[in-house]
Amino acid sequence: MLMDRAHWGMVAVLAAGVFLSGAGASAVDRDAKTGATTKSEDFVDRMIKEGWDEAKIKPSKVAPEPEFMRRAYLDVLGRVPNIQEATAYLESRDAGKRAKLVEYLLAHPDYAKNFGNIWTVSLIGRQRQERQVDRPALSAWLRRQFADNRPWDKVAYELITAKGSNKDNGAVNFTLAHMESGAVPLTSTTTRVFLGQQIQCTQCHDHPSNDWKQADFWGVNAFFKGLTQKTVRKENAAGLEVDDYTELSQRIPEDPFVYFDKRNAVRGAVPPTFLDGRKINLNSEADRRVEFAKFVTEPTNANFPKSIVNRMWAHFLGRGFVSPVDDFGPHNPPSHPELLDKLAEEFQASGYDIKKLVRRIMETQAYNQTSVTTPNNEKDDTLFSHVGLKPMSPEQLFDSLLTATSAHKAGGGADSEKRRDAWLGQFIFAFANDEGEESSSFQGTIPQALMMMNGELMEKAVGGKPGSFLADLLEKAQLQSRTAPEIYVINHMYLAALARPPSARELTMARNFLNSSPDTIRIMEDLFWALLNSNEFVLNR
Amino acid sequence: MSDSLIVPSGMSRRHFMGHMASTTLALPAMQFMSSMTANAAALRKANKSCILLWMSGGPSHMDIWDLKPDSSKNGGPFKPITTSADGVMISEHMPNVAKQMQHMNIVRSLNSKEGNHDRGTYMMHTGYAPNPTVVHPGWGSVCSYELGQKLENFDLPHCIAINTPGQPAGFLGMTHSPFMVQNPNAPVANLKPPAGVDADRMGRRLQMLGMVEDQFVSQRRGQAPIDHKAVYNKTVRMMNSRYTQALSLDKEPAAVRDAYGRGSFGSGCLMARKLVETGVTFVEVGLGGWDTHQNAFETLSQRLMPELDKGMGALIADLAQRNLLDNTMVVWMGEFGRTPRINQDGGRDHWPVSWSIAMGGGGMKGGQAVGSTDRDGVEITDRPVGVMDVIATMTKTMGINVETQYTTPRGRPMKVVDAGKPIAELI
Repeated sequence: MLMDRAHWGMVAVLAAGVFLSGAGASAVDRDAKTGATTKSEDFVDRMIKEGWDEAKIKPSKVAPEPEFMRRAYLDVLGRVPNIQEATAYLESRDAGKRAKLVEYLLAHPDYAKNFGNIWTVSLIGRQRQERQVDRPALSAWLRRQFADNRPWDKVAYELITAKGSNKDNGAVNFTLAHMESGAVPLTSTTTRVFLGQQIQCTQCHDHPSNDWKQADFWGVNAFFKGLTQKTVRKENAAGLEVDDYTELSQRIPEDPFVYFDKRNAVRGAVPPTFLDGRKINLNSEADRRVEFAKFVTEPTNANFPKSIVNRMWAHFLGRGFVSPVDDFGPHNPPSHPELLDKLAEEFQASGYDIKKLVRRIMETQAYNQTSVTTPNNEKDDTLFSHVGLKPMSPEQLFDSLLTATSAHKAGGGADSEKRRDAWLGQFIFAFANDEGEESSSFQGTIPQALMMMNGELMEKAVGGKPGSFLADLLEKAQLQSRTAPEIYVINHMYLAALARPPSARELTMARNFLNSSPDTIRIMEDLFWALLNSNEFVLNR
Repeated sequence: MSDSLIVPSGMSRRHFMGHMASTTLALPAMQFMSSMTANAAALRKANKSCILLWMSGGPSHMDIWDLKPDSSKNGGPFKPITTSADGVMISEHMPNVAKQMQHMNIVRSLNSKEGNHDRGTYMMHTGYAPNPTVVHPGWGSVCSYELGQKLENFDLPHCIAINTPGQPAGFLGMTHSPFMVQNPNAPVANLKPPAGVDADRMGRRLQMLGMVEDQFVSQRRGQAPIDHKAVYNKTVRMMNSRYTQALSLDKEPAAVRDAYGRGSFGSGCLMARKLVETGVTFVEVGLGGWDTHQNAFETLSQRLMPELDKGMGALIADLAQRNLLDNTMVVWMGEFGRTPRINQDGGRDHWPVSWSIAMGGGGMKGGQAVGSTDRDGVEITDRPVGVMDVIATMTKTMGINVETQYTTPRGRPMKVVDAGKPIAELI
């Protein structure tokens, strides 16, 4: 009984947190049936609707609350809601609770952690880096930027211009990860990530389908000339010399030009030149990357806000206006060009405010819809007539498994962080693939399925030993008297794994299983295993 | 019955089928039953296979395949020996392979351009230099895609990598990505449910899973829920498949184990033979440690080459003796060769400019050395070969159309063989 009271007390606290923190939010009133906002002047909803009207398709319905809640948690915090969070939200009768949930999520520490992880992967990928690259320092730096809601132009500027110790300034690790081959990878990654422009094929030839020239690539590359890294060593406790940190610096090169071979075997030469043709004063004493970062982030460069707005839209809606998100250009026009322009202008006018942009996207009709298609709109994949399913990233899947099951806590607290790190390593190894490609379809492999079905993490996650999630759940079920214990158990397992109650059919089937054997905890393990292995668990609906 | 993973001894077949019948996961279970009668040898007869021996770190080609005893500065301490191929000499530390050289060929004039480990690995596995806009599929995944998936009722992956991660499948999809066997001397990870989950429980788990999956599919949320179910079906079929016996060396006679060598490479070669015999299309076997910048000759003669020679020699002999060699191409390569010059630490450094690989079987001619380098091993003097020529040779040998072209997810064309020509002398 004690545990039960504590449990419901926790819910009340969280519920209060959700609603009090949301007091200042601008909740958009929404028709419960159509999902259309009653603020008719909202340009996002209006312009998206124009696309549907033109194509003669009708949008899907508003997502039911469990669906919206799970999606919002996964998109903002990178994990599913825990039972307390889910209960608090689903039991609330507040009409404006979606907007308040968004505020609660944006204020949660896991928001910064999640976006720090996402941007670490965007900037340096998931693959193992050379030892001079300090991945945790970069993640921590990014996490601070998102926690403080630093303006995006400042974040980009600091990433592009970072220098000094990679331990003291985590942003340095972005450049360090891409310096080989005369900073060729740095050239293409920087323009791709911050401007959505893929100039890398112009490294070797003029672009076949737009007007970028080979000199454009090398003109950007010239901003990175003179970069040097140095490993600084120190004596450790045992008196041995070990690597301490890497120091990044850039000197002004004596020869500002870079040279390249053209296809016709003529040698080309170009000084630092931005993509729009602007050059810098070669007598300038300023760091060349500072000059470049100014070009990237200055207000006249519309590609900069458009690129991040498009990435954020794709993060939440499953597809960007421009898709792939990092391939802007006349060869690949956006699905909603005016809407993208307007959102980018609004974002710029807000002072590059990331949290405002997130709120803006999460309150749109498009985001509030269900992912269930209708015969009328099931073929649409560019007009946002329904939300697209997103496969969880390895990090989302891992954090969601731990949130749902507390697997790492079973069997003693002292080692739980260590266990977590060891599993995360295995997980990333099994689930990560190359990040150059977006994938819209589920990319499962047999080794991944084997790991999910038979692996150690899943065994611990569904294990019903004393002190585990399932053992605690069974104990609580037997102590409470509000409902039959097996219904209590089934409801909570569904809530933990899928953030929804079971359907009538599922409840009947699960009850039959539970009643078929006196070994309740084994049946619970098997049911929980099935929920966590399901398509519904691993796909963000 | 050794593969009674899901059909337990204490559970009748009818009872088991009853468990499964209410879910669509019943389908793979049914196929499991019927595949008991399928004949693996008949299945694979028409199809070719490839075993890639992957020397990670960059193998010292001048100490293995292209010795230069007349070069006082670059020659190194090893002596050439004659082989079963007329006029073709290789290193004295390769006696077992020397006996099989009538089946193999050496290409001694390869320029692969990439001298960085990651880039070279990518280049030699795909034929392409890395490019941020597209992940080129590994050539093994191309084999799986083009040949492997045409085999019906075959429940193992068609691209398997032993001791090494292999190359990802890129846009060909995860079904064709390498299934990695981390250690051929240990049970394959996660292939069986954990202790305590018997067949009865596994049946119950799959029944519940099928119910949740089917409900989500029926809600019409697009293709992803269907794809997820397909991957799980495939996985359950693999867990049930008797072909997984090829992933275990437990029942191999001691004499065979000894012939191949019991290290991870020798065991990997033996497993590769079992896998292609079973019907798998592409198997890569890794042998690491070739990045010999220092004290190269001791490492090579004491450790690396004996292990390589034993495993590779036994593999070719075994394939030939079992009449599998005509259908099984064997390719030996790494990410690049090593410098002709011997550095001050007694090692050789990275060298993609003029190096050697070996290939044979699968219907190729044998016993030849194609191309050559100068007396010091620096310049190519005859018949330069590019990586795409190697890919073209391998593609043609496997019976895959060399004109095969894909469209990448970004809508651009990608040829399996881009401007490469099969090496005519070998075909």
